[in-house]
Amino acid sequence: MKMKSILSISLILGWVFLSSCEDIIDVQIEQKQKKIVVDAFIDNAIKTQRIRLTESIPYFDSSKTEPPVSDAQVVLADTGSFKLFNFTYKENGYYEWEPNPASGDTLQVGRNYALLIIQGGDTIVGVSRLNPTIDKIDSIRTVPVEGNGPPFIDSGKYIELFAKDRQGMGDFYWIKLFRNDTQNSRLNNLNISQDMGNNSNGQDGDYFIYPVRFNRNNEFLRPYRQDEKVRIEVYSINRETFYWFQIIQNQANNGGLFATPPVNIQSNMFMLGDHSGRGVAGFYNIGAVVGDEIIIQE
Amino acid sequence: MWTRYLLLVSLFFPGYSFAQNATISGFIKDNSSGETIKGAVVQSLTDKTSVITNNYGYFSLKLSDGKHDIKISSKDFENLETTLTIAENESINKNFFLKPEIEEIEEVNVRAKRNDNVKKIDISTQSITGKVIKKIPAFLGEADVIKSIQLLPGVTTVGEGASGFNVRGGSIDQNLVLMDEAPIFNSAHLFGFFSIFNPDAVKDVQLVKGGIPANYGGRLSSVLDVITKDGNNKKYQANGGIGTIFSRGSIEGPIAKDKASFIIAGRRSYIDVLAKPFLNDDLSGSRFYFYDLTAKVNYETAKDRFFLSTYIGDDIFYAANAFGVKWGNSTVTGRWNHVYNDKWFSNVTYYYSRYRYNLEFSNGDDLSFNWTSYINNNSLKADFTYFANPKNQIGFGGQSTYYIFTPGNAIATNSAGTNNFSLPNKYALENAIYLTEDFNANGRFSIRAGLRVSQFLYLGKSKVYSYQDPIADGQRRFVDSIWEVGSNGVIANYINPEPRLGFKYQLNRFSSVKGGYNRMVQNLHLISNTAASVPFDVWQPSTNNILPEKADQYTIGYFRNFSIGKQDFESSIETYYKDLQNQVDYVDGANLLLNEYLEGELITGIGRAYGLELYLKKSTGKLTGWISYTLARSERKSPGINDFNWYPSRFDRLHNLYIVSQYSLNDKWDLAANFIFSSGTPTTFYSGQYTVQGYTIPDAGTNARNNIRNPNYHRLDLSVTYTKKKKGKWESNWVFSVYNAYNRRNPFSIYFDTDYENTGQNEAIQFSVIGSIVPAISYNFKWN
Repeated sequence: MKMKSILSISLILGWVFLSSCEDIIDVQIEQKQKKIVVDAFIDNAIKTQRIRLTESIPYFDSSKTEPPVSDAQVVLADTGSFKLFNFTYKENGYYEWEPNPASGDTLQVGRNYALLIIQGGDTIVGVSRLNPTIDKIDSIRTVPVEGNGPPFIDSGKYIELFAKDRQGMGDFYWIKLFRNDTQNSRLNNLNISQDMGNNSNGQDGDYFIYPVRFNRNNEFLRPYRQDEKVRIEVYSINRETFYWFQIIQNQANNGGLFATPPVNIQSNMFMLGDHSGRGVAGFYNIGAVVGDEIIIQE
Repeated sequence: MWTRYLLLVSLFFPGYSFAQNATISGFIKDNSSGETIKGAVVQSLTDKTSVITNNYGYFSLKLSDGKHDIKISSKDFENLETTLTIAENESINKNFFLKPEIEEIEEVNVRAKRNDNVKKIDISTQSITGKVIKKIPAFLGEADVIKSIQLLPGVTTVGEGASGFNVRGGSIDQNLVLMDEAPIFNSAHLFGFFSIFNPDAVKDVQLVKGGIPANYGGRLSSVLDVITKDGNNKKYQANGGIGTIFSRGSIEGPIAKDKASFIIAGRRSYIDVLAKPFLNDDLSGSRFYFYDLTAKVNYETAKDRFFLSTYIGDDIFYAANAFGVKWGNSTVTGRWNHVYNDKWFSNVTYYYSRYRYNLEFSNGDDLSFNWTSYINNNSLKADFTYFANPKNQIGFGGQSTYYIFTPGNAIATNSAGTNNFSLPNKYALENAIYLTEDFNANGRFSIRAGLRVSQFLYLGKSKVYSYQDPIADGQRRFVDSIWEVGSNGVIANYINPEPRLGFKYQLNRFSSVKGGYNRMVQNLHLISNTAASVPFDVWQPSTNNILPEKADQYTIGYFRNFSIGKQDFESSIETYYKDLQNQVDYVDGANLLLNEYLEGELITGIGRAYGLELYLKKSTGKLTGWISYTLARSERKSPGINDFNWYPSRFDRLHNLYIVSQYSLNDKWDLAANFIFSSGTPTTFYSGQYTVQGYTIPDAGTNARNNIRNPNYHRLDLSVTYTKKKKGKWESNWVFSVYNAYNRRNPFSIYFDTDYENTGQNEAIQFSVIGSIVPAISYNFKWN
C-alpha cells in the first residue's frame, strides 16, 4: 500500500513537473592539461605509509587507468627538525616509507611536514600539519531501522558511531568507513566533520551529531548483514583538506535546476616554476588516526 | 518655502512663463469601471500643450484663457474630444471618462493616437495592460505577468522553471518587483512556472529597463511596477477560470457608487485535491498546492483618495512524515492621494512586505529538521508632484524602510537531543530622497533630470566580523576578529548619490530619438550560487564586508511609428551599455547555507552588459502582436575566477527572438502563436579526471568559467480561444493550448556525473525541464 502511495505521489509530482527529463549525451571534449596527480594521505601510525603519483586522464576515458608516475623522488620533511623521510617506489605509482620508532623515524602530532616531489624537471611542494584526532571511539552500535523500501530506505541493521569531538574549536576529521576491509569510496558516504558536525556552528567537544554519527556510515539501500565486519577510522585533517573534500562532494550529483557551477578543484601541492606547464592536482594531508571495528550480530 | 525652492529650480530651465494662467486638473478614468488610467495624454489642441497622467491617473494642465479643444487619449481606449471655455485665472477641476476601445475601431481614430510611445519621454519602458497579458497564451494556457514580460526585448530567463527574469544582463535580484508599491522578493509560484500576480486583479504592468526615474531606487537593472485594479465602482463584476492546474476567481464592485469600491481575487492549484483518492495510509496528510489572494478597497472624496491593498500567497509542498517546503510573500499597502490644489498632488504610502520560507524534514518519529527564514520590511514614503506649468513638472519625495533579516532559524532534533543552527537576525535602515524635473522645452525637446540620494545603515544588534585577506585571489577568507555592536548601533553607513537623466527629441509626429542615463545602487543581495534561483536563497543586506552594488547604464533609442496600407506599426531600436560594480560572486565550492561566516565565501567582482534591442509591434487590426529581437552580452569579472578575465554570466544569451501573435478570426474564434528562440546559456565543462583515495575527481583543466554553450533554446506555443456568445451578463470562453508544439527537448543544462551505482563511468547528462508537448484546456468566465 505504501508503495502505491509513493508511486501516486511521484506520478502527481511528475505531472506537475511534466516531462522533466535527463538524457545521457555524447560530448566531445579535449583534455586541456595532463596533470600530475598527488594522492598523499598519510598518518602517524607505525605501519607502511604510501603516496601515489599518477597522471590525469580525459574525462570520458572509460578505462579508468591513470598512468602511474614511477620516476619521482618523494621526500617528507619535518619542518622543525629538518629530518627527511624518503619514500621509495614500489609499483603502480605507489611510493612507500616504513616508520621506525627505534631510530626515531616517526611522525609527531603538532608538527608541520613538507612533502617534496621532484619529477621530470619539476619540483612540487606542499605543507600539512599533523593535527591530533579524537581520543577514542566510544562505540559503534547497530540500530534496527524500519524503512519503506526503495526508493527511500530498506529495513535492516544500520550503524551509529559514538565518539566525542576534541575540546576546542577548529578540529576537522575524515571518518573513513570500511566494510569487510574494503574502504567505501562513494561520495554519498564521504564523512567529514568540522568539530561535531557539518558546520561548526559553535558546537564543540561532545558526541558527533546526526549526519556524521549515522547517515554517512550507512550505504544507501544496503543495510548491514550478520557477520559483516565494519571498521571506522577517525582521521584528523587540515582545514584546507576539509574544504577540498567539501568541494568534491558538491561536484557529485550537481545537476538540474539548482546546480552550482562546476569548479576547478585546487590542489594544496604547488609547482615551483612549473617547467612542464602541466599543473598539479590531488591533495596532501598528514593526520592522526584512531579506529574501531565490530562484527554485525543477529 | 518648498514652492519657492522649486520655482528656483524651474528657473534653470528657460521658457517658464507664458500667458497661461488658467488650469484644468483632474483624474482620467475608465467609464465602464471607474478605474483610473495612468499614462493617458491630455492635450489642448488650441495651445498645443499636453500632459500625461501620473501613476494615479491625475493630471494638471495650464491653459490660456478662452475656448479650448481638449483631446484625451490612452492605449486601449477611444479618444475623447471635448471643448471647454476657461476664464483667466480660473481653475477647473474635472474628471474625464474614457470609453474602452472595442476591437473594430475606426481607423482614423486609431492612427491619430498611436504616437504616444514616440511622444513620451520614457525610454526603455514597456507597459502591458492586464487585457493584453490575458491574450498571450502561456504555460498550461494560463495568462501570466512574468511570462509575458519575458517576451519583451531585453528580457531573458535562464530557462523553464527558473524563478524571475533577467533584464539587460542583470541577475534576477536586480529587478525591483513592486505590487502596489510593496516590493516582492520572490515572484514565483511552483518554482517559476507561474508568477504570483493574478491576471484578473492586474490593471497595468510597467517594466522600466533604462533611464529609470529618480522616484525608483534600490535595484540595479529594472523596475517591474505591477498596479492592481481598484475595483469597479459602478457595478458588480466577477471573473474566473478553471484551468488544468489551478482555478481562479475574482469579484469586484462598488461599496458606494462612484465613491468606493473593492476587488478580491484568488487562485488555488488543486493537484492535491485531485490526488486525494490515491493517497492513503501515512501519506493521506500530504498537501501540494499554491494559493494567492489579492484584495483592495478604495474610497475617494473630491480631494482625497485612499487605498488599502493586500496580497497573501504561499506554495506548499508537504509530504506527510517526510518533508515539507513552503514559501510565500505577503504585503499590505495603504495609500493616500491628495490634491492640494490645481498644482499640487501628493501620495503617501505605507507598506509592509514579508518573504518567508520554511523547510522541514521528519521521519514522523524522533527525527526532525526545521528551517525558517524571513525578510521583513516596513516602509513609509511620500511623493509630491508640482505641476508648475506645461513645460515644467517637478516631483520630489522620500522613503524610509526598516528591514529585519532572519537568515535562518534552524533546529534539528533527534533521539540524542536538539541542535540549534540558527543564525541571528540582521537589521538595516534604508533612506532615500529624490528630486526630479520634467522639462519640456518646446514640442520637440524634453528633458527629465533627477537626483536620488540613498543611505543604507547596517544596524545592530549584531556580531560583526572582519576577515583576513585570502591566501590567493578567489579563495575563502577566514575570520580575523569578531565583536558585538548593540541595538541600533551603526555598523556600516553607505550614502550614494544616484543621478538620473532622460531626454527626448521629436523628429516629427511619427519619430523621435530618446536617451537615458541612470546610476542605480542596490543594498539587498540575493545570495544564490545555483543555475536557477531556489526559493531558499537568502537575502543579505550590505554589511561592512558586502559593499553596495552599483550600476551605470547608458541607453539611446530611435522610435518610429508607421503605416503600411491600413496597418499601423510601432517600432523602436534601442542600444545600451551597463557598467556594474561590486557584484557578488562566490569562492569555488562556496558554502552558503546557514553559514555564520558567509561573508568569507563571497568575492567582489565587476560586470558589464551591452546590447541592441529591436521591437516591432502591431496593435490594431485582425492580426496583432509583436516581434522582439535582442542581441546582448552579459559578462562578469572576479578575482580568482577565469584567471581574472571576463567570462559570460550564467544568463548570457547572444540572440533572442520572440514572436508574439494573435489573430482574430471572427467573434467566436481567436488564434494565437508564440515563437521563442534564445542562444544557449554558457556552462563550464570538465575535460579531465583523476583518482584520489578512491574518489573519482573531475578536472576542469584551467580556471575557465562558463567556457562552453548549452544548445540553443526554441519553442512554439499555440492556442485557440473559443468565445461563446454573451448571454445576459454571462460571458465565457474556452482556451485550448499547446505548449512546446513541436515537441522539442530544450536543454536547461548539461552536467557531468559519475554513475557510481552501475558502470562507474563519467557521463554528460542533458537536463530538460520540459521534454515534451504539453496540451491544456481552460475555461474562463466573466459576469458583469
